[in-house]
Amino acid sequence: MSRNKSFASRGGTTAASLGLPAPISGDDMCPVCKTIRYLNKDMEFLINPECYHSMCSNCVNRLFNDGPNQCPYAGCHRTLRRKGFRSPFFGDLTVEREVDIRRRVAAVFNQHEDDFETLRDYNNYLQMVEDLTFGLVSGTEARRRDAEAQLQQWEAEHKIDIERNRKAGREADELSRRRIAAERDAARQRRIEAIKEAEEEKLERVRNREAELDTMADAPEGGAGGGAGAAGAGGQRVELKRRKQTNRAGETGAAAAGSGGGAGAGAGAGGAATTSDVGRLSIRGLKDKRRAPAPEGPYDPFGGMDFVPSRYKLHEGLSHPQIDKYRDRAHNTGGYSFEEYAARAMYEAFAGLAVFIEDEKEVGIGLSAGKVAGISAGMAAVGSDEMEID
Amino acid sequence: MEFNIDDLPILFPYPRIYPEQYAYMVDLKKTLDAGGNAVLEMPSGTGKTVTLLSLIVAYQMYYPEHRKLIYCSRTMSEIEKALVELKALMKFRTERLGYEEEFRGLGLTSRKNLCLHPSVKREKSGSVVDARCRSLTAGFVKEKKEKGENVDVCVYHDNLDNLEPHNLIPNGVWTFDGLLRYGEQHKQCPYFTARRMMQFCNVIIYSYHYLLDPKIAERVSKDLSKDCIVVFDEAHNIDNVCIESLSTDITEDSLRRATRGAQNLETKINEMRDSDQKKLQDEYEKLVEGLRGADEGRQEDAFMSNPTLPDDLLKEAVPGNIRRAEHFVAFLRRFIEYLKTRMKVRQVISETPPSFLAHLKEYTFIEKKPLRFCAERLTSLVRTLELTNIEDYQPLQEVATFATLVATYEKGFLLILEPYESDTAEVPNPVLHFTCLDAAIAIKPVFDRFRSVVITSGTISPLEMYPKMLGFVAAVQESYSMTLARRSFLPMIVTRGSDQASISTSFQVRNEPSVVRNYGSLLTEFARITPDGMVVFFPSYLYMESIISMWQGMGILDEVWKYKLILVETPDAQETSVALETYRTACCNGRGAVLLCVARGKVSEGIDFDHQYGRTVLCIGVPFQYTESRILKARLEFLRETYRIRENDFLSFDAMRHAAQCLGRVLRGKDDYGLMVLADRRFRAKRTQLPKWINQALLDSDTNLSTDMAVSNARRFLKGMAQPFRARDQEGISTWSMGDLRAHQAKMADEQIRELQEREGEREFGGGVGGKGAGGNGDAESDYDMDNDDEAELMALDGR
Repeated sequence: MSRNKSFASRGGTTAASLGLPAPISGDDMCPVCKTIRYLNKDMEFLINPECYHSMCSNCVNRLFNDGPNQCPYAGCHRTLRRKGFRSPFFGDLTVEREVDIRRRVAAVFNQHEDDFETLRDYNNYLQMVEDLTFGLVSGTEARRRDAEAQLQQWEAEHKIDIERNRKAGREADELSRRRIAAERDAARQRRIEAIKEAEEEKLERVRNREAELDTMADAPEGGAGGGAGAAGAGGQRVELKRRKQTNRAGETGAAAAGSGGGAGAGAGAGGAATTSDVGRLSIRGLKDKRRAPAPEGPYDPFGGMDFVPSRYKLHEGLSHPQIDKYRDRAHNTGGYSFEEYAARAMYEAFAGLAVFIEDEKEVGIGLSAGKVAGISAGMAAVGSDEMEID
Repeated sequence: MEFNIDDLPILFPYPRIYPEQYAYMVDLKKTLDAGGNAVLEMPSGTGKTVTLLSLIVAYQMYYPEHRKLIYCSRTMSEIEKALVELKALMKFRTERLGYEEEFRGLGLTSRKNLCLHPSVKREKSGSVVDARCRSLTAGFVKEKKEKGENVDVCVYHDNLDNLEPHNLIPNGVWTFDGLLRYGEQHKQCPYFTARRMMQFCNVIIYSYHYLLDPKIAERVSKDLSKDCIVVFDEAHNIDNVCIESLSTDITEDSLRRATRGAQNLETKINEMRDSDQKKLQDEYEKLVEGLRGADEGRQEDAFMSNPTLPDDLLKEAVPGNIRRAEHFVAFLRRFIEYLKTRMKVRQVISETPPSFLAHLKEYTFIEKKPLRFCAERLTSLVRTLELTNIEDYQPLQEVATFATLVATYEKGFLLILEPYESDTAEVPNPVLHFTCLDAAIAIKPVFDRFRSVVITSGTISPLEMYPKMLGFVAAVQESYSMTLARRSFLPMIVTRGSDQASISTSFQVRNEPSVVRNYGSLLTEFARITPDGMVVFFPSYLYMESIISMWQGMGILDEVWKYKLILVETPDAQETSVALETYRTACCNGRGAVLLCVARGKVSEGIDFDHQYGRTVLCIGVPFQYTESRILKARLEFLRETYRIRENDFLSFDAMRHAAQCLGRVLRGKDDYGLMVLADRRFRAKRTQLPKWINQALLDSDTNLSTDMAVSNARRFLKGMAQPFRARDQEGISTWSMGDLRAHQAKMADEQIRELQEREGEREFGGGVGGKGAGGNGDAESDYDMDNDDEAELMALDGR
């Protein structure tokens, strides 16, 4: 009973109020009906997460089949239902209870390390959560109520973030599970292949040997050398084949590793939360996730380089008696565009302007656009500073 | 004798040298100059240790860098032997040079062997000695003492603090006995003297574990500099040592005791919270800051050190959810309870660390990261709580080690849960094996850290397997043959019994009466003709027991009994040592004895049967590993997938290295002689996997013998061996005096010059083809090496 004592000393009121029993071991007795394992070999203990009192499945059936009933433990006045009973995962029921609480907490506080600005903030957050969990698990009555309130408040306030994190977490779990499964499959595949390969090789060797014997039998004197040669070639073939297969195996291995890496990258997804009022639960150091990251635009092959001409402007309604005829549909062939033509003409006219090779050699950079404006004006094809053709 | 290799003057403490010793030195020097790794195989009984030591000591003394030598061996007795050799060598050097060199050589072994404390040294178990020693010598104990509290301390340890820290022991070579005596005289602790003086030593001799096991290496071998020369002697089993150092087994009992440990921790924490809140708070603050006391990791009295390798160590603050002591204890309890639940499963489970972690997280909400910090956090907590009865926390430490390892490594490890001890067992006794599959993981830091690593043994064939398995590149790979003036050992492969039925210990036929009878008659025949001692090796204890009982039924043992006393090795070490004692007595005064033992047992590894103690070694069956073991299966699969070593290749390699170890037991020197009989049909195909020196002596005509032919061969051989053989006959062939050595060196030099001239001529002849010249260069070098060997071989043949 040392365990009980130590628990009581730690657990304070919680443990006392719940009156948790000593953990069951393999051949224990059912505390309710006093049946021992010797009499009932398949005795199975069940607990209800309401109070974590364990009893054997027979007792559960007996007591709770006719609807909700009180817990048979002395001093425990909780009403239990048949539905709530399950077999415990852990032998130590205090741990079972702790893990159940942790499950609740983890569902709410599901921030990821990436959500924090620094590692230290993350660690502080982890400790805060741990403190809260400890309060729920083994704190005093007041502490427990506090923690409970904090938990609920946080849950209410950050519903969206929590949901998002949960989703991301689920996805990551799914991914990792799939990865593990894929790895296992690949390993199995490789194993099968290796076995097959070994068998084939054995067969081949037997065949070679037979062939060798045959040639020896068939050949007249002096033919043994030839037979041996043929066998050697066969051996080489086996060797070659094996090497090829090894290479192939290597490739598949590499591919598996690659997919694994990809899956790992998907794991980092995040949620958000920000500070709340004084007195409420707050976490420092969270990255501000309110501002959604700017959506990525379409792919730009020139990497943001701007090709809009700076010295002239192209106008839509370009007209000139000389060129008006080209606007006529009748003169155009398919794929020809007048605007394109005009743009190219303009580009060619301005190409090379404001580029002074000597200066560039000295300074290393081009001149500013304003400086060359005057020079370019005189040379402009249509004669005006700003390319305006009406 | 004194001679030079290139410019390096070497003092060799014997008047004669073996040709292979000289070749070994030349290659070793090449490796050290080039700065690379080497795999060297040298026949047992040709003075490997002294060769190695005399070259390296000469190297240290001659060149200004004074590179330190770290010599790792396997057992305590081998370490002691090496120390004695080193001592003799240094004595010889002092005599020759006329002055004593500035030289310090020390050996290190466990506290148990080096303790002087009157009550601690009486403890039987090594871990208890360790724990008690820590409780007397830990830093906080001293602090308490200074504060005037009444605590037990160790006088021997505390006296060390009064000495100069770099001069705890005078120069010279200290064997363990010497060290103990010096410690007793000067009232200082030999263990800590050795530990602290390691940085100031020229030669350190200790066990593999101090370098390979990360739990120890981190503490002991951290300060060794990069240019140390590391030698692993008797390294044929090094891959297994590597694997063992990273594997842990967890049983239900150890979990129970770990729970108790966790409970004790909790009580201690509560006590401390009431009495000395400040200390816990200090620790907490430190962890928050992510400060790791610079000296903490290395403290020699630390409770445990991180089991992961230095590269994988996270240099980060401890995660927030295990920062507080009570949080951490609850964390440990959860983890232990989870393991307990897993142990309840009644079927074999094997899973990878990632899948284990995923399951763990699902059921206990333990993340990977805090798990990684488990070992470190526990050390810190134990230090804060100033626990003295550390041995109680051993199981908890094991669990923490396991936690850290499982969270650190994803690849190369496997968890195997075996609920029953054997397939037929009814009562469950679950064991959770956390096995390392990759030998390269543990040894990698050694190769990364040190420039020259030499792996050497008497039987390390096939040489190319080791670089492959341990993941390194060998600059020099060499196997030396044994030069002999007469054919002093006779290896034979017996494949058939006298009735021409083939003999084998493969599973299908091993219990057939004809096979058993043939093995029996082989034993009887050889017992009849062998003078003095005879050693028989079986593949396993199980098979040995069954075959002995069958022999008993057939009356074969009675027949053997007429010629020799029969002794049997058992798994119990005490019994075996009694059997060995009796065996030796029988060999010294009587008709001799037969020792029946197991190829993987204690006898096959560390015990020499020199001269009359072993004239025949009979290896019954190929000593394959037990292939049904799940751990072995997992490892085979890993080897196949990662290193492309096929299952059968590895199994046969492993079997043959053990067979070679067994064979090497009888031949322990050049004046020794013995028969080596390999009795299994399957040995014929595996002949090439034997070490070169055995394979060379094995004639083609001796590879497919039946029992009677083998016996008549053996008779002839023994008759030859009975002829008088003087030391003078060996001279110039298998032992070189100074003159022979000079002649050899001159010849080598001539050859080299001729080689160079030829190449020169070729280059002129070849004209402008530059690329070809370079290629030719490499080829010529390897040709030269081969010549060297061939020549030695020719000499050996001449002598026959």
